[in-house]
Amino acid sequence: MKYKSQSVAKLYFIAAIALFVAQILFGLIMGLQYVVGDFLFPTIPFNVARMVHTNTLIIWLLMAFMGAAYYLIPEEAETELFAPWLATLMFWIFLAAAGATVAGYLLFSYSDLAELTMNELLPTMGREFLEQPTITKIGIVVVVLAFLFNIGMTILKGRKTSINLIMLLGLVGLAVFFLFSFYNPVNVVRDKFYWWWVVHLWVEGVWELILGAMLAFVLIKVTGVDREVIEKWLYIVIAMVLITGLIGTGHHFYWIGTPDWWQWWGSIFSAMEPIPFFMMTVFAFNMVHKRRREHPNKVATLWALGTAVMAFLGAGVWGFLHTLSPVNYYTHGTQITAAHGHMAFYGAYVMISLAMISYAMPLLRGRNAANPAKSQVLEMWSFWLMTVSMVFITLFLTGAGILQSYLQRVSDNPMPFMVVQEQINLFYWLREIAGLVFLIGLVLYVASFFVGQNEPEAVVADR
Amino acid sequence: MRYPPGDLAIWIFILAELVVFAAFFAAYAFTRMNNVELFNEFQQQLDQRAALINTLALITSSYFVVRAVSAIREDNRRHCVVWLLAALAMGALFLIVKMGEYQHHFIVEGVSLSTNTFYMFYISLTFFHFMHVIMGMVILAAVVVMAAKGKYSAAEHTGVETGASYWHMVDLLWLIIFPLVYVMR
Amino acid sequence: MKSTKRKLGIRPCTWVYLFLITFTFVTSQVGQMGLSGLTVSLLVLMLALIKGQLVGYYFMGLGRVKGLWHWPVFIWLFIPGILIGTAFYLTAARV
Repeated sequence: MKYKSQSVAKLYFIAAIALFVAQILFGLIMGLQYVVGDFLFPTIPFNVARMVHTNTLIIWLLMAFMGAAYYLIPEEAETELFAPWLATLMFWIFLAAAGATVAGYLLFSYSDLAELTMNELLPTMGREFLEQPTITKIGIVVVVLAFLFNIGMTILKGRKTSINLIMLLGLVGLAVFFLFSFYNPVNVVRDKFYWWWVVHLWVEGVWELILGAMLAFVLIKVTGVDREVIEKWLYIVIAMVLITGLIGTGHHFYWIGTPDWWQWWGSIFSAMEPIPFFMMTVFAFNMVHKRRREHPNKVATLWALGTAVMAFLGAGVWGFLHTLSPVNYYTHGTQITAAHGHMAFYGAYVMISLAMISYAMPLLRGRNAANPAKSQVLEMWSFWLMTVSMVFITLFLTGAGILQSYLQRVSDNPMPFMVVQEQINLFYWLREIAGLVFLIGLVLYVASFFVGQNEPEAVVADR
Repeated sequence: MRYPPGDLAIWIFILAELVVFAAFFAAYAFTRMNNVELFNEFQQQLDQRAALINTLALITSSYFVVRAVSAIREDNRRHCVVWLLAALAMGALFLIVKMGEYQHHFIVEGVSLSTNTFYMFYISLTFFHFMHVIMGMVILAAVVVMAAKGKYSAAEHTGVETGASYWHMVDLLWLIIFPLVYVMR
Repeated sequence: MKSTKRKLGIRPCTWVYLFLITFTFVTSQVGQMGLSGLTVSLLVLMLALIKGQLVGYYFMGLGRVKGLWHWPVFIWLFIPGILIGTAFYLTAARV
């Protein structure tokens, strides 16, 4: 850690990991509810578990992105953070808002929560992933604005690097597109149309810029490859993301009531979305291959390479599987979507967050470069357990999705939804078991922060 | 030489762009299979003469860019700038003619993406290409500014070659769009 | 050396330019005359592919590049060329 104010990132990272644990627990609850319908009913109904599972994911990723920004932006700008106190204050506001929102989901019925938070003054609730009460959404905007102001001023007063500019561009985009969550037209087609401007343009647009910047930062640090080389790659990847991702939004407009030419635009442009992910994979392995130093933090490098591979598989390949409109006609909204969602979020955004945490946390905790070998080995175990179990979750859900599409939509005698759900029961059980393995991985991950505290730092063997 | 002229980054970008257009071309040809009469009927509504002028404009423009690159290789900065400006003028001619075409179809005829499948392809293909012409002109304009400032020489002119490569790609795309959309039936 | 050679005649790129212009007029004439049918279409497509290859080889300078980077434009023309040709062939066969 080069600048004192970077230490604010630690708060964000700790909260991110805590929310990550909550997300997985609720994932397991709803995973079980798929097969044991009344599990925990009526305390935690399926819709509430699902809401908590997805919302905590979004919040903890935002926490991790902010933490990453507070860590990497001062270091890149070569100056202290503009206002460290503001970052700390915003952290507590954000955490309180997130905690209150989750508590609201769990303690009240959703309609009571809407009434309690005076949703009718500015109705924004009731839409998938944007379920947060309006007051929470306003809180998010305030936090993000203060955050952007803080890092923006830091960049202005310091060195301007490509990584910082792309990180800032991604985060500004994140803020701008979130504003569409306040637009809630009566017309259902319009509603869905702009809903995707938040959801798609986040995860398949501006978040990828954040991902690119974070990956580039970690790779510069662990490989020692020239900044110029890495930045050039970053620019190509980003350009491709924007070309394919922006118009690629069209792959959500096939069946919602928009003109049919979206089927062409959406299919062709989104079919190219794997390209930037593939470039990212080539890029990461290339840089590690060309490394000019052996960094003692092996596990951070592992996470970075893992991101590159899993993001390509999850976002690129699994996205491509059902992005063409003639295919999507049958697979839309089936478990194929769930399979893609799981591996893409894990591979792209969870793993890059963990890569960043893995690189920064030892430094934030006062190490010179890396954790002791014992702790790193445990973290590597957690890497493999989580990653492999996520691959299995994805495969089981894909199996479920293929069967579901066939039985429900392709076969000569299509079956009703609930009948099909019973047919694919086995896949759901297998998915739940894989989910338990994921939880074990996560427990090991958390444990890796506490093991081997008093042992000496890992050092590199001579090359 | 093992690598193409210009920055390798622009080439990776060019490849990705080419792939997108290739997908569009194939989609056009195979969709036409099931709508031959429709495609043939509305293809005749297109302005052949405008397409000819535009093809000539882009080819000429590309040629001027070639001359600009050879000028800077001979260390002739002034000629490089002049050829590039001429190329830009040809690009502008393309845009003007194309806008005339669009004005006729969109405003006079009231055509839109939803009119029919042929027009969907006509508008999509030519409009994406139109945006690339603008993009290419922005790049060339940046190169002109740098060249006028004397940033390039016979020894170091990667920037000129980079801009040139992108501009040739814009030309290349049109060389396929022209026969495919306007002529082949 | 270069300059003396050049004074003797027209630059290669100018020849290429003249070819491109000529081919364009031919293509355009086909369109203006309203010629149609598989043979005509495939000939026009062939001309377009040759034009594309001339641009790639001479204008983009890939002719002088050895190895992998010699091929991208050629491959790019080849694959869509085959696909477009096939589609037009199948269309004609159907009617």
